[in-house]
Amino acid sequence: MLDKILCVDDDPITLMLCKKVVERVEFAKEIITAENGVEAIEYFDTLFEESKVNDAIVYPKLVLLDLNMPVMDGWEFLETYMRKDYDNIFTSTRFIVLSSSIDPYDINRSKTYPVIGFLSKPITKEMLENLKTQFP
Amino acid sequence: MKFYIFGVMKNNSNRITLIYVLILMFMAIIGHKLFVSYFSASDNESIFRYDYLKDLLYIVFSGLILKFILHQNEMRNKSVFEKLQLTNIEIKESNERYDIVAKATSDTIWDWKMEDDSFIWNKGIQGVFGYKKEDVGKTSKWWFDRIHPEDSLKMSVKLYSFLEQKTEKWQDEYRFQCADGSYKYVFDRGFLVKDASGKPIRMIGAIQDVTKQKEEEQRLRLLETVITQTKDAVMITDIDTSKNAIPNIIFVNSAFTDMTGYPAEEVIGKSPEMFFGKKSDILEFDKLKTAIQEYKECFVETISYKKTGEEFWINFSMIPVTDKEGEHSHWISIQRDVTEEKEKEKEREQLIRELTQNNKDLKQFSYITSHNLRAPLSNLTGLLNLIEDITIEDPELKEIINGFSKSTHLLNETINDLVKVIIIKDNPSIQKEKVLIKDVFENVFNQLSFLISVNKPILKIDLEDVTILDINKSYLESIFLNLLTNAIKYRDPNRQLRVTIATKVVDDNLIITFKDNGIGIDLEKNMDKIFGLYQRFHNYPDSKGLGLYLVKSQVESMGGTISVASTVGKGTTFTIVFKYN
Repeated sequence: MLDKILCVDDDPITLMLCKKVVERVEFAKEIITAENGVEAIEYFDTLFEESKVNDAIVYPKLVLLDLNMPVMDGWEFLETYMRKDYDNIFTSTRFIVLSSSIDPYDINRSKTYPVIGFLSKPITKEMLENLKTQFP
Repeated sequence: MKFYIFGVMKNNSNRITLIYVLILMFMAIIGHKLFVSYFSASDNESIFRYDYLKDLLYIVFSGLILKFILHQNEMRNKSVFEKLQLTNIEIKESNERYDIVAKATSDTIWDWKMEDDSFIWNKGIQGVFGYKKEDVGKTSKWWFDRIHPEDSLKMSVKLYSFLEQKTEKWQDEYRFQCADGSYKYVFDRGFLVKDASGKPIRMIGAIQDVTKQKEEEQRLRLLETVITQTKDAVMITDIDTSKNAIPNIIFVNSAFTDMTGYPAEEVIGKSPEMFFGKKSDILEFDKLKTAIQEYKECFVETISYKKTGEEFWINFSMIPVTDKEGEHSHWISIQRDVTEEKEKEKEREQLIRELTQNNKDLKQFSYITSHNLRAPLSNLTGLLNLIEDITIEDPELKEIINGFSKSTHLLNETINDLVKVIIIKDNPSIQKEKVLIKDVFENVFNQLSFLISVNKPILKIDLEDVTILDINKSYLESIFLNLLTNAIKYRDPNRQLRVTIATKVVDDNLIITFKDNGIGIDLEKNMDKIFGLYQRFHNYPDSKGLGLYLVKSQVESMGGTISVASTVGKGTTFTIVFKYN
């Protein structure tokens, strides 16, 4: 079981669903949610500040990321994340794009980011059981 | 020859004199001898002797006179002969001159003596018209017979009225037949010769071959008709740019007048600059000016002005023409009123703009719709998934949730199909790969294994062994899946379903056929709708009217075609044709 995962989605029902499914399959101990890219960045900002004083900080190893969001969408979030060099700070953090439609163009675009997969909504227990094997 | 003749003449006169003298002398001597013998030994011998001498003297004298007369005669003859000789030479020279002139003018000369209807032709009849000497007739009939039937009546009327009026000159144009049967246009001029009483006795004519001129004339007349009759306005200008940048008009046709309202006399001598006005395209005008300076052809489209001041769109060319020496001599301009076309073009552009915008809006709309529908729908699906784990005791609630679940799944399928269509329509250039048709079928059967196991259709699969296509695998899968699902869905409940799937390579085409013995579709009613969007032909609850539309879209996006044949109650056959490399 993972310690922490982050769910980024503007739809509260999706977040609720995420939480429920994660709980059901005991995928992670803690689920943090953000409603858009800005909130997610702010979360990582806070973690970054904390990491300066605390080496043993627990950060999410997996982020479930929606692409289509107001304020800051998934792509902008990933760009900002990279620009802030967070991929070298939170080295174990991986991203999974959770989207309602999968465009081949998006898959290509994700290759420059630490995105390890694309999943089509809704999130299911089977998906998470499958993911478990990738995160020992 | 001349001297020989004279020599003979001289000898003759001398001989004649000599013979005359000798005969007379012989007669005188004989007479004298006889006389002497009758009056022999007469007394007057001296008188006889005197008479005899006198006779001889007379004879010699008369001989001399004869000689003189003969000589006089001879001299007269000689001068007459010399005159004749001169006339002869003159005639000969005149003849030669006539021949040379006839040759130089290529005229064919004829000479018609009316009294005995003899008709003589010069060599032109052979050279110009190709007749052999022996074929040329010797009467006027031969001449008349060779005049073109269409011309002969008019020509003979003219000729005889001329002969009646007894004027001196006659000329006419007609077609004259050549030896090979073809006709030449000729110009014939004749002169009448009259006798003392004024009666015409002879006519001499000269025929000129004017075929070339005539043909050229006809050609020019035809060309002229083109200019005068054409619906396009034609304008011709000179090349003098000393006064105006665009040279002055020297000709306009009636179509020009129709188009602009200006009669020819109001524009000739003026520069076409007068047709440019406030709204005319100044750039086009400059283009025309430059072209004229450089003697280059030019095409102009601009607003122009009619005599009434009304503006219209004109499209015209300005083409330099040269004379025989290759010198620029004129400008020719063909002009057309394109106002209507311009307006139509404008309308079309407007329409295209609107359509493009509409299409863009619709596409955007469908994206947003599909996305916005999808997000809550996936939530619903997710939530239903969660409910599955919860045991529900209340049977009514269970029923409600069941219905809720079914509707949600159907909605999900519909939206998935719609999204597929949108992707196909928006992506004309799809990825293509080598695909083994058999593999695709295996995939499809795996996905439909549940349906197949439930309905147990007889499947007859006849695929060519190594059939590889250069197409999109997921599309092909979707096509097969849709067609096979349709076959199962719309089977005839009264008989076992039989589906035959076959591929065949014919020339450059791969033909795939899907044949079933299902309920069929009434094509007479539905031919134009069968591949349409949201067309349903059977009252089935889970029919969305999307499948065949999707199939057609996918087939066509890969450059293929699909057709259908169906009989109600018997079955349906779909035929898909792809290019096969």
